[in-house]
Amino acid sequence: MIEFSMKEAEGGTIIVRLNGDLDIDSTEIVEETLLPALENYKAATLNFEEVPFVDSSGMGLLLNVVQSLKEKGVHVMISNVKEEVQFVFELLQIPEILGKDTFI
Amino acid sequence: MQSIISKGKNIKEAIDVGLLLLEAKKSEVNIEILQQETKSFFKLKSKEAIVKITKLEQNPNQEQPYKEEKDPIKLMDEFLHHIPDPGSESLVDLKPKPRPAPKSNELAGKVWVKNGELFCQSSPTHYPLVTIPDGVKVYRNEQLITEKSFVMTDIDFYEVQLETEEKETVWKVVMDPHKLRVELHIEPGYKITRSLLDTEPAQHIELMIDEKKETYNTLSYQEVMDKLEELRVKHGFHQNEIVKAMDAAEPGVFTIASGIEPIPGTDGWIEFQINTETQIGPRETENGRVDYREMKTIPNVESGTVIAIVHPPIPGQPGRTVTNEPLPAPQTIPISVQSGRGIAIIDNKIIAIESGRPHVEKRRSIAKVSIMQKLTHPGNVDLSSGNIHFAGDVEVLGEVSERMVIDAEGNIIVHQSVNMATLTASGAVLTHGSIIGSDVSAGKNNMIVTELGHLLGPINQDLAKIIQLIKQLMLSPGFKASDFSRGGLQPLMNILLEKRFKPFPALVKEYVETVKRNENYLSDKVWAETAKSLSQLFLSLSSEAISIGWMTELSEKLKELHELSQMPVEPNSYITVPNVLSSRLYCSGNVTILGQGSVNTKIYAGGKLTINGALRGGEVFGRFGAEINEAGAESRTPTIIAVPGDQKIYINKAMDGTSIKIGNVQYKFSETRSRVIAYLNKHGRISFE
Repeated sequence: MIEFSMKEAEGGTIIVRLNGDLDIDSTEIVEETLLPALENYKAATLNFEEVPFVDSSGMGLLLNVVQSLKEKGVHVMISNVKEEVQFVFELLQIPEILGKDTFI
Repeated sequence: MQSIISKGKNIKEAIDVGLLLLEAKKSEVNIEILQQETKSFFKLKSKEAIVKITKLEQNPNQEQPYKEEKDPIKLMDEFLHHIPDPGSESLVDLKPKPRPAPKSNELAGKVWVKNGELFCQSSPTHYPLVTIPDGVKVYRNEQLITEKSFVMTDIDFYEVQLETEEKETVWKVVMDPHKLRVELHIEPGYKITRSLLDTEPAQHIELMIDEKKETYNTLSYQEVMDKLEELRVKHGFHQNEIVKAMDAAEPGVFTIASGIEPIPGTDGWIEFQINTETQIGPRETENGRVDYREMKTIPNVESGTVIAIVHPPIPGQPGRTVTNEPLPAPQTIPISVQSGRGIAIIDNKIIAIESGRPHVEKRRSIAKVSIMQKLTHPGNVDLSSGNIHFAGDVEVLGEVSERMVIDAEGNIIVHQSVNMATLTASGAVLTHGSIIGSDVSAGKNNMIVTELGHLLGPINQDLAKIIQLIKQLMLSPGFKASDFSRGGLQPLMNILLEKRFKPFPALVKEYVETVKRNENYLSDKVWAETAKSLSQLFLSLSSEAISIGWMTELSEKLKELHELSQMPVEPNSYITVPNVLSSRLYCSGNVTILGQGSVNTKIYAGGKLTINGALRGGEVFGRFGAEINEAGAESRTPTIIAVPGDQKIYINKAMDGTSIKIGNVQYKFSETRSRVIAYLNKHGRISFE
């Protein structure tokens, strides 16, 4: 289950701090609350510092969020990914799917 | 010039003795100090002083200088015997000792070896020459002579150094990894001593060496036994070989213990109770003509006949290592028999439950036995008879006319010509008449299996990688496998197919579609089953939960199928026809054109291609080589003969303009050439034998 807090930064950028596991139980909150909340910004940065675990559904959600926001013109960045989670992302080539420059 | 070498306790004494011997005064001589005396407390290592005194030429009229010389030198010799010899033992000290015999004139200017020592006598007109062979060192006044030959004088000191060689016995005991053989490698020790051989006096001699080699084999029986015990060798000793090794004078290898190799067993097999030779076809008569009426046919069996007996494998006998451990014989494989139509298997007997032609198809250790029914069509196949689709052999006594189709699961035999028609057989195709403008395919099922096998290779490689990746993922600390129990592997699979295995669904799709398209030819259900599983896993987005165990099972099945598809099928299909014109022949096995030949036809032979007549135009391919009597066309219609890189092309007469292709290398004949045998050489170029 995941929680998030948002903070606006300069230039229409919103910074989202995620807290908890990005997993199958996060589907509802991500799709129904987080995604609509980001649609009106120019850019969004997802901070993964407090995300210790991911599962395959959670990664599916992430791909879905980034791609649908891109379609709406929102530039998404992902930051501070923990080493263990980054290892999982790389096994599945998520940086290649989203573009390597998405990760900062 | 008269000169002597003189020795003394010190330089002064040496000079004094020298002058006395020469009967000369100090002012009349030239003195050269060769060695300073060295003093030592105990006199053990002390060296005396040596000088060379040369009397300056004062009396050129002196007639016999040597005569006068004799006495002083004799005195010198005597004198030298009284002083202790400082020479080291390993050196042969060769002081210039003029001749033992007094025939001075004969020996003048000559050199010789006597009793292992080098002598010379110089003369005013000739200095003797000595050649040094390899392996011998000669020192002049303690200086190594580096030249191959040197001029010898009786005023210098010469020392000949001969090396003795010594080597100890070297041995080792080696056991092979299977512990079936223990070898003793031995190089016996030896000592080589060398001495100078006597040589007759001559103006020029080469030093000759005598070499004595003595062998010292110090290997002891106990040493070998200790080593064998260390290696835990308990079984199969060869005592006599150990004794031989101890006596060996030359380096050698002795097998001193050996185990017993396992005897392989026999794989399971089918013993036929009837004649199943399926290579039927027209035969060439003695006068070289082909008689199409002489057909060898297989006797049909009545229902109830025992066709064959299935024998289980006979296990081999285990062997035994030298360390007394059992060595298992290689695993024997039972033959697996699949009963096709009209066949029952009771106990170990294969029984026909229908009458017809027994058909056996073998791939490695899997045999499929079925009874082929036969349909004999008495007349022509044309619009009035309709197309023929039959699950067995089809024999047409007439001809096959335009746009007609014959489709048989067994063989097709046509007694007359085939015109603009399509013949497809799982077995062989045999015609007595020409084939014109038709499509003929034999062994299509085999070719489909080969094609599916090609597709399965990369599919299974990817599937194995996917399984490996999932396993790795589940061990990763940042990964939660919690959703696998709820949603199965599907969400993960979606991510994998997004990028990492993007080309994978396309491969699977091709496989699934090929299976579906050829369902009729694939009698084995396993092809359709795997196609269904693959499509469920990777093509549809079914909500059914998929487990990793299920994927592993599928991967095993694919691997088996892939291996099976690469095994040659026995017997293979074949196409045998007299002539062919503007057609396409496609066969998983051999294609043989017995009559005048092939004109403007495309031929693919999965086996060997043989054309007894002429090949005029068209493209032909023989997977296991091509043998053609005459190739090429006057009209210069393109004629191309192709084989894979490891095969040869034989052409009795290749007309100019004919092209051959071996592997990916092409060659075009620019002039007519006879008895061509073409192959790819090791540099990858086409060569002719």
